[in-house]
Amino acid sequence: MEHQDLYIVIPVFNHDEHLKEIIATLKQKGFHNIIVVNDGSEKNIFHRIREFNVHYLSHRQNLGQGAALQTGFDYAIGLNAGIVVTFDADGQHDPDDLPLVIDPVISGQADICIGSRFLSSQPVNMPFSKKLLLQIAIFFNFIFTGLKLTDAHNGLRAMNRKALNKIRITENRMAHATEILIEAKKNQLRVEEVPVTIHYTDYSIKHGQSSRNSIRIFIDLVFYKLFS
Amino acid sequence: MNGIQLLLLFGVSALGLYYVTRLRKTVLDLAILILLLSASVIFIIWPDLTNEIAHKLGVGRGADLLYYICILLFSFALLKLFSRIRRLEQMFTKMIREDALKNAEHNAIDQ
Repeated sequence: MEHQDLYIVIPVFNHDEHLKEIIATLKQKGFHNIIVVNDGSEKNIFHRIREFNVHYLSHRQNLGQGAALQTGFDYAIGLNAGIVVTFDADGQHDPDDLPLVIDPVISGQADICIGSRFLSSQPVNMPFSKKLLLQIAIFFNFIFTGLKLTDAHNGLRAMNRKALNKIRITENRMAHATEILIEAKKNQLRVEEVPVTIHYTDYSIKHGQSSRNSIRIFIDLVFYKLFS
Repeated sequence: MNGIQLLLLFGVSALGLYYVTRLRKTVLDLAILILLLSASVIFIIWPDLTNEIAHKLGVGRGADLLYYICILLFSFALLKLFSRIRRLEQMFTKMIREDALKNAEHNAIDQ
C-alpha cells in the first residue's frame, strides 16, 4: 500500500522491544512514512531503529501517550500529511489491519476510523478483567462523548487532514482516546469503526493499561470536562 | 487570653508574614489578606462572636460555621491550584513539544 501523504505515528515510552519488528513489517507492507515519537524514554531508542528511514522525535521528559501523539500530529501536519494513522509500539496491533482502518478515510466515508476489537471476532487471549474494564470504558465513553462505539481506547486509528486540523489533544496521558472522540463529536467529524485484531501477549498485558490507570483516566476526563 | 488563642494568633501572624514576604503582593491580594487576617484575629480574641453570627445564619455553633466556611475555602483553593497546575502542564508540554519538533531527525538509509 503506497500513499505519499499517509504517515504512521508510533509513540514509544521505554518498552521498545517490538518497535524494530513493527517498523520492519510496516516498511515491508509499503508504509514508508513512519514517525516515531519517543516520549522521554530512558533508553536510546533512536540507536535501535537508526537503520530504518523513519522520522524520529524525542520528548526530553515523559509527558504521556496523548502528548506524544499530538507531537506526532504536529510534525505530520508540517510534512503536509493527508492521513495519519496511530499505531501502538507494544506489538498488540496487526499491520495487516491497516488497510481496513485506512480505507474508509481514503474513500471519504469517514474523517476518523477507529479499530474495534469487539466488532467481529473476539480478541486473542484477552484477560477477563480487561474485557470487563473495556465494557465499563465503552459505557463511560458514551456518557462523555455521546458516541455509541463497540470499543474504547483502541490505539489503532486513522484520521484525515480535516480531523487532524480540528482535533488538538490536550490530555497528555491516556484520557486522550476519549478526548479525540469528544473533539470529533464537537466538530461534527464522521467516526467509523472497523474490526481489528488485538494480540494479547504476556508482554502487552504487562505493559498495557492497569485498573489503576482506568481510574486516573476517569478523573482526568472529569477534570477535562470541568476545565476545558 | 488562653493558650490556644495565643497559638492561633501566632499561626495567623506567621501565615500573613509568609504571604507578604514570599508570595503575591498586588493591592487586591493584600486587601483580601488583611480582611481575612483581621477577621481571624477578631474571632480568635472574641470567639463568642462566631456563635452569634452562626445563630443568625441558622447554624447551631460558631465552630460548625467556621468548619463549613473552611470546606468552601479549601475546595476553592483546590480548584484554583488544579487549574494552575493544568496551565503549567500545558506550558511545559508546549516547550517540550517545540523542542522535539525542532530537533526531529530523519535519516534516509533504507530507501
